[in-house]
Amino acid sequence: MNKLFYAGIAFALLAGCSSTPLNDANAPSDAKAGSASDRTSDLGLDKLRSDSLLTQRSVYFDFDKFEVKPEYLDVVNAHAQYAADHPGVKMTLKGHADYRGSHEYNLSLGQKRSVSVKNVMNTSGANDAQIETVSYGEEEANQNCQGKECDQDRRVDISYEVE
Amino acid sequence: MKSLTKTLFLFLFLLQTVHAIEVIDILGGKANELAVAVIPFADDDTDNEKNQIHNVIKSDLSRSGFFRIIKTEGVKSLPTHTNQVDYTFWSGLKAELLVIGRVEKNDQQIKVTYDLVDVFKEKLIISTEYSGSLKQARQIGHQISNVIYEKITGTPGVFHTKIGYVQKVNNNKFHLNVSDMDGFNPKSVVISNQPIISTRWSPDGEKIAYVSFEQKKPVIFVQNLKTGDRKLVANFKGNNSSPAWSPDSKKLAIVLTYNAFSQIYIMDVDGNNVQRLMRSRSIDTEPVWAPDGKSIFFVSDRGGGPQIYTIDLATEQVRRVTFEGKYNVSPRLSPDGKLLTFITNDNGSYKVAVQNLISNQVMRLTKGRNDEAPVFSPNGHMVLYTAKESDKVTALKTVSLNGFKQQLIDTGPLSNQEATWSPIDF
Repeated sequence: MNKLFYAGIAFALLAGCSSTPLNDANAPSDAKAGSASDRTSDLGLDKLRSDSLLTQRSVYFDFDKFEVKPEYLDVVNAHAQYAADHPGVKMTLKGHADYRGSHEYNLSLGQKRSVSVKNVMNTSGANDAQIETVSYGEEEANQNCQGKECDQDRRVDISYEVE
Repeated sequence: MKSLTKTLFLFLFLLQTVHAIEVIDILGGKANELAVAVIPFADDDTDNEKNQIHNVIKSDLSRSGFFRIIKTEGVKSLPTHTNQVDYTFWSGLKAELLVIGRVEKNDQQIKVTYDLVDVFKEKLIISTEYSGSLKQARQIGHQISNVIYEKITGTPGVFHTKIGYVQKVNNNKFHLNVSDMDGFNPKSVVISNQPIISTRWSPDGEKIAYVSFEQKKPVIFVQNLKTGDRKLVANFKGNNSSPAWSPDSKKLAIVLTYNAFSQIYIMDVDGNNVQRLMRSRSIDTEPVWAPDGKSIFFVSDRGGGPQIYTIDLATEQVRRVTFEGKYNVSPRLSPDGKLLTFITNDNGSYKVAVQNLISNQVMRLTKGRNDEAPVFSPNGHMVLYTAKESDKVTALKTVSLNGFKQQLIDTGPLSNQEATWSPIDF
């Protein structure tokens, strides 16, 4: 909690620096560029965009199930580690369900899936305050999927606020 | 006539004596329909449609499951007054009832008179006269159906009531529509670029609560149908969904997640006094108030898969209600609180089921495959639901508890979801 709070202040200060209209003749001329690149490296955005695990942003689930399957633990843990290493980042876990069954139960199931991913991330060091869980239920699902086609609708998408 | 009144009574109460819990599939049974010949009314060419009132009455009576419509096409002499009825002829066609009538037009006004005739007793049962504008021809037809329905079943008809449903337009617009219960006269009361689900008509008839995704996550709005105003009533952190009206229309049971699983809360309709109903480590959702206001039925996966439970609001005792099958969702109660309708997953096929809450006997009313969102008619005699056949639009349908008659509600070529039904005194 504290870490995040300070990180927040640091950002506020950095942001203040880069946008301050005061013309300080003594300030190093590359201050603006410096703060921008600091921010990028602070958040490790380069890694987020290139790492083979961090570029994977979806976790898939079995029908009416919410447990994170073993094959997705590496991806989920990589994101958790990334969040732990960069306390300033905020991520959203957006749960989804396929179209079958009721809209409301699917909304709850999508939520349970996103919470299930969050719980795995928590045990890997990601702070609860960095993660928001939401659900879209079946509202973005293919309403005519059949068989294996429906598999891709049962998922949690990981996204970051900075992106 | 009397035997028919008994039919529904038997359906509801015979079941109490059935001890073995065995799910019954009944599809399109022809149980105890009364044969009625609805004769075209004289001069029934209202609103540029020939036989409009005749067609409304035929469609209503057929939908109810209590009546079998006898075809009158090709019959040479069709009576429009009781003194023209050839009783021998109609009893030869096995017609038990005749509906005959006539329309008088005077400028933009119409006067409709109809007679309901008992063929076997050769007796007039009721005769009534309605007046209105030409534009009210359909409404007059529905009122006639209501009177006939109540005469025969002893229960008020619902053919004058309204339904609400969400229609997908061009795949990117969602219209919350209100129409007559047969799909005619649709009006959009809300239009959104984002999905709308969980429409719930308030028991006082004035409002519809619904869930919108327009804020990039589900939040709950209440639309006032009289003033056209709408109010955001729940926008808490996480998901806000599944509103359910208390019987006095003053409170809403809602589902919130914050950063965890779906849990049920109760709040005032204006969004104040939010209180958690119960704590669980599972999904609790789709709350619905019992008509007496003393308990709330809901869906929970606390036992593994989703099943329907009930919580007594005074004692906070929770009891499981559904036991057949691994997936039972979307509970709704009949107005007398004795029947529960819900969606059951039967080997991958989602069907409308009804459970008698006294005997716990379950009956599947539809054959699936993707039926959703069942809701009782305000007299408890029908269930409205959505039905999707592969590669076709999702249609609105009704299924009657008497005779299990399934009938389409014609809303045109677009897909619909999440229907609701107005109260009876709307």
